[in-house]
Amino acid sequence: MTFNEIMDLLYGTLHTTGLLHLQWSFIIMWGIGSLFIYLAIAKKFEPLLLLPIGFGIFIVNFPLVPLMGYSHGHAQLLMVFYKYGLQWEVIPCIIFLGLGAMTDFGPLIANPKTLLIGAGAQLGVFITFTGTVLVGFTLKEAASVSIIGGADGPTTIYLTQHLAPQLLGPNALAAYSYMAMVPLIQPPIIRMMTNMKERKIRMRQLRPVSRQEKILFPMVTSGIIALLVPSVIPLIGMFMLGNLMKESGVVGRLTESAQGSLMNIVTIFLGISVGATMQADKFLSWKPLFIFSLGLVDFAVCTIGGIAMVKIMNMFLKEKINPIIGAAGVSAVPMAARVSQVEGLKYDRTNHLLMHAVGPNLAGVIGSAAAAGMFIAMFD
Amino acid sequence: MKKFTSICVGLMLLFPAFVSAEDFLGAPIIPQGKELNKTEARLELVIPLSHEEVVSYYREALKDFSDIKFRDWSDATYIEDDGNMKWHSITISKDAKDGTHIAIVKDNWTWIIGTLVLRYIGVFVVLMVLFVGMTVSGKLISGFVRRAELKKAAS
Repeated sequence: MTFNEIMDLLYGTLHTTGLLHLQWSFIIMWGIGSLFIYLAIAKKFEPLLLLPIGFGIFIVNFPLVPLMGYSHGHAQLLMVFYKYGLQWEVIPCIIFLGLGAMTDFGPLIANPKTLLIGAGAQLGVFITFTGTVLVGFTLKEAASVSIIGGADGPTTIYLTQHLAPQLLGPNALAAYSYMAMVPLIQPPIIRMMTNMKERKIRMRQLRPVSRQEKILFPMVTSGIIALLVPSVIPLIGMFMLGNLMKESGVVGRLTESAQGSLMNIVTIFLGISVGATMQADKFLSWKPLFIFSLGLVDFAVCTIGGIAMVKIMNMFLKEKINPIIGAAGVSAVPMAARVSQVEGLKYDRTNHLLMHAVGPNLAGVIGSAAAAGMFIAMFD
Repeated sequence: MKKFTSICVGLMLLFPAFVSAEDFLGAPIIPQGKELNKTEARLELVIPLSHEEVVSYYREALKDFSDIKFRDWSDATYIEDDGNMKWHSITISKDAKDGTHIAIVKDNWTWIIGTLVLRYIGVFVVLMVLFVGMTVSGKLISGFVRRAELKKAAS
């Protein structure tokens, strides 16, 4: 072998590495990915999602990695997860199946008027839409960004994939990051919007809910949503199927799988696929930064909407509702309900609001799905 | 076949129009049109072509835009832009006797705010219906369960 041949060989080999193709934008994305991994591990911010998302961001932002493209006509590894999990909108629906299998709708069934709190808490979604259009997003992008305030990860991913798939990464990241920050965002808003007398309102213990009611609830809800907002029945239908499986009591193995191993498996695929969509050339623009700042406003206004809804309802109700639980209308289940419990206990150590707050918390899930359905109908 | 041929002929006749098209707020205008009314936010024209020919023209002119939606109403074809164009909609009438009427409307906040308010109310309507459904079914089931328990206790 001649010297030139050896040099050629070495140079060719060097070209197959990523070293000669590194750019500053990749390094920035490594930092962003590492930040989310840090938040997941050190701060325990939604670790089940932020850890795989952070790693997805990190691993996909290296040059020449065969992860999010096509090789010889076949999708590469993460592109397979993305295409068949997210593009086909399968993963969000399976997550809802698992969530339904974990959820007890008893508090909502016992006090169905808390559904209106869930509706009120969608205020931020519609206000943020206006703000998002003002700054230059298209209508579809604005719809997908504003649903972040619904604080529902699968719904955010479902709607974004439907209307503005190019924003999937930043929207999902914003949604899950702010969901983890609910205990920081909500308490100041609760204190600002309520007075001492309101915070101490005691609510009557919820009536017992029979097993038959809990079994009928998923059927009634699925039927109504299928008739009124058919575009979100993949999400709500799976949610209700999971719940029906749980409440029937006769398919324990299926319920266990849905809420356990199945949920864990799809969470891994969800996290890494969402992270993998955040390649430097797509993520590093003004839009993702704006999405993060708008997401915070969205959450805040949704919290305000929920509390305001309770205050409006209290004008007509004999038995007042404690407005702290209005904040739980933001569907970060069960975080927002726990925040209401903690806030309520600060003002009256014997006033336990958790079970009362679970109702609007679950209503918020249905409300945000309904809002997503409204947006899909707007563009269909 | 006749309809297909007439559309193809219409498109060929309109070809020079594609090349030399004017526009209103970025929405293409067929040059043969006679202006009926023009403001900063609205343009109304009448075109001496059939409804199908005009719709074909716009399908061809707007084919490269991804956020354009065509809706077939009973009395008009409605073209809506959900993207970043300055125009919001183009309405192409079906039944006008003196040619096809076209109305091009500017993007406006009235439509955006109006549709948002309606959809927010729509969320309340959905949840209200669910509330009524749950209340009624809750009462029925509670009644059955209570009666069953009373029967059981009596026996």
